[in-house]
Amino acid sequence: MVNTPACPTRPSLLRLRGILNPPLDPTVSAPLPDRFSDYSLEDPVYDEMFLPDGTPRPHCLGLFDALTNYADDRLAGVQERVTRSFSNEGITFTVYGDTEAEERIIPVDCIPRLLPKSEWDFLDAGLKQRLQTLNLFLQDIYSDAKIVADGVIPAQVVYECPQYRPEMRGFTPPQGTWVAVCGTDVVRTNDGFHVLEDNLRVPSGVSYMIANRKATKASLRRLYRESRVQEVEQYGRLLQQTLRELAPDGRDNPRIALLTPGVYNSAFYEHMFLSHEIGAELVEGRDLVVRDGFVYMRTTAGLQRVDVIYRRVDDDFIDPSVFRSDSVLGVPGLMDAYRAGHVALANAPGTGVADDKSVYAYVPDMIRYYRNEEPLLQNVETHLCRNPEGLAYTLDNLDTLVVKRVGESGGYGMLVGIQATPEERADYAKQIRANPSDFIAQPTLDLSRSPCLIDGNFEPRHVDLRPFILHGRTTRIVPGAFCRVALRRGSIVVNSSQGGGGKDVWVLQD
Amino acid sequence: MLARSAQGLYWMGRYLERADHLCRLLRLQTEALVDRPIAEIYSGWNRIYTCLDRQPPGARPDSLPGYDPSLPDGILQVMGVPGTRAWQSSGGDDYTLADSFTLADDLTFERSNSASVFSCFAMGRENARQMRHCISAEMWTTLNLAYLRIQQVDILDIWNTSPETFYADTAAEIDTFMGVAAATMYRDEGWHFMQLGRFIERAQLAIALFLSQMELFQLTHASSPEESESDWITLLRMYHALEAYNRAYSVEIIPDQVLDLLATDPLLPDSLCRSLDVLAAELASIDPGPDPEYDAAARRLTGRLASMVHYDWPDSADRRRLLIRLSTYCMDLHALVSAAFFDYATAAPSPT
Repeated sequence: MVNTPACPTRPSLLRLRGILNPPLDPTVSAPLPDRFSDYSLEDPVYDEMFLPDGTPRPHCLGLFDALTNYADDRLAGVQERVTRSFSNEGITFTVYGDTEAEERIIPVDCIPRLLPKSEWDFLDAGLKQRLQTLNLFLQDIYSDAKIVADGVIPAQVVYECPQYRPEMRGFTPPQGTWVAVCGTDVVRTNDGFHVLEDNLRVPSGVSYMIANRKATKASLRRLYRESRVQEVEQYGRLLQQTLRELAPDGRDNPRIALLTPGVYNSAFYEHMFLSHEIGAELVEGRDLVVRDGFVYMRTTAGLQRVDVIYRRVDDDFIDPSVFRSDSVLGVPGLMDAYRAGHVALANAPGTGVADDKSVYAYVPDMIRYYRNEEPLLQNVETHLCRNPEGLAYTLDNLDTLVVKRVGESGGYGMLVGIQATPEERADYAKQIRANPSDFIAQPTLDLSRSPCLIDGNFEPRHVDLRPFILHGRTTRIVPGAFCRVALRRGSIVVNSSQGGGGKDVWVLQD
Repeated sequence: MLARSAQGLYWMGRYLERADHLCRLLRLQTEALVDRPIAEIYSGWNRIYTCLDRQPPGARPDSLPGYDPSLPDGILQVMGVPGTRAWQSSGGDDYTLADSFTLADDLTFERSNSASVFSCFAMGRENARQMRHCISAEMWTTLNLAYLRIQQVDILDIWNTSPETFYADTAAEIDTFMGVAAATMYRDEGWHFMQLGRFIERAQLAIALFLSQMELFQLTHASSPEESESDWITLLRMYHALEAYNRAYSVEIIPDQVLDLLATDPLLPDSLCRSLDVLAAELASIDPGPDPEYDAAARRLTGRLASMVHYDWPDSADRRRLLIRLSTYCMDLHALVSAAFFDYATAAPSPT
């Protein structure tokens, strides 16, 4: 308890140690390593490992036991092996604006976050419900827009969204699948799980989920075996199955290509990894040509037809003849081939409207509207500044809210009121007043915390969860997720571009 | 396979071969620093720079007092060999002159030198990184680990201990990579293009080295055979051929016989004829490219290259000329392979 003032009214881990490890005669055995001395439970946020009274949650007993009993050098060895595995494999990402280190290793914490089966089953059902609804929503707004006509969601929220693509009106993608690959950000507070963001365009991170698993499995062999963890390695197979289901009619053995913006993209490692997993060619825009309404790739034997494109290039850039004409990443004519049904795209263009930060606020209503069900997973309370009452509330409570720009992602351009100076808040308020509809506000979330190994001791760090959902003929989820960690002490920003790292998530079999 | 992927693997093969070749040269050269006469050390550096077609760093000859532009630039001048004009005109001040340390650094770790060991290795690894999905996981790990090691070394780390060990280790790592590739890589077109790049590069480097060797040492041999003998032994060792030479001929080193062995011995793993045979075989394993004209021209040229060494070499009176022709044909072959498989026009497609 070096850094934490003693607080007699709060539970502490000292008590916990008394319960599980009664003091032994010091002449018989060396005292246990004091690894949890910096692990404070005083902040009343949800703890992924401990109950409020300081005892480990039942599903974490095995992990806790292992962590307290490992010798110092063994624990250090675990972390070292995990980090080295990332570096040896060259699992890297790029930080924009960072010219120094082009390839950066994502920081990874070796201690897994555990989820019991019951919690996962709940998440699984909630995530499927949500993605299926969002696909129905996209099909609706690009055809009859009944949801708008019925007044569930205001027309301007949909049509003024820059991600709404009028080019897609009247189009039905194969299987009605607009979003085939989704990575939803879920956070846990004391009130349970909440969806923070649906990522429906080109979500990334799934390769880290698999790399984390590979590394922790190899480093915590026995614990892994004894914990009975559900596997995640089948993701590639499920992704391939999903993509094959989208192939144009009559293409029984479809050729799949993964379209990447190129080696300088921050997620290039993932593109390479996935193309390998699903047996797809990894192509750039310059490798593809459109001839007579069909898409071909340039191979060493000439042009070969491509049936399904898993594209990791944003809408704006996929076809310079339809979207941004200055794009060099895309393929001129691709949209014509797509609309003619000669090639499938995953995800479909125009899906960004459904993960827009304003549209997000209406997802619970969509679930009720399309499925006549109550949403299983809650939204985070969201105030739309485009509404007068939302604007007033936001401006009145800037010091406690997190305000986000509607068009931004990756943690860029947001205001964390509680950490901002009065000047920063005043400046931000001016920007909000100038363009209210560009902003939404949410309460500062008490993200749950999980123990991380920091300099040989365990310290609490805030975490979120990004599971990956696939949607083709059916909806599929692998039981696992990429867990992002705010590695800076006290930080609640988990984005890897903002000093976040990752850890593995173990979904237990029972 | 995707044309760009094939091209990446082709270049991966080329760059790693280039790094390997230079490591082997530098290993022998740094060994020579220990016990060879100074003139031989200078000519060793000269051979390396000549075959790389690169100007050595250090004082530029034209900055030296009394520089005569009518005389050829050469390493002997740059390095200020005692007794040369440059040495005399600099007043014996060797602070202005490059030394072995500087030259080794330039050829090994200099990032701005695209021909340095590090640059070639890094380019090979970068091609592998971009084409990771086309190679085996074991290949990538082997190469990346070697890269991470080399990245952390600089000339000071190796110079005062054992520079030749660094070069030997690096060459061994590339050999290991090729061995891992042979053991684990799927024999699809990616493999054949990697091999094609590797052996075109190997043939070109051998030709360039033979030419610079002939240029530098043929004459010295006539004047003082004992002195240049070790230069030819170095060349044999470069190609793991010294034992084979002793067995085939005798311990007496005759430059023409050395070249005969290195060019035409089909049993020597690095011989020129073997490189050309392998690259012809690799190209034959690749399905026809979309442009029939370039495709056929490339295949004909590989046959011609191999037959030149097999049949023209023994009868050739002027081997220098033959080597220059071979060198030109190798460059042509590179251009034809690129045109036939990588950069073909798509205006008139033949979709399948």
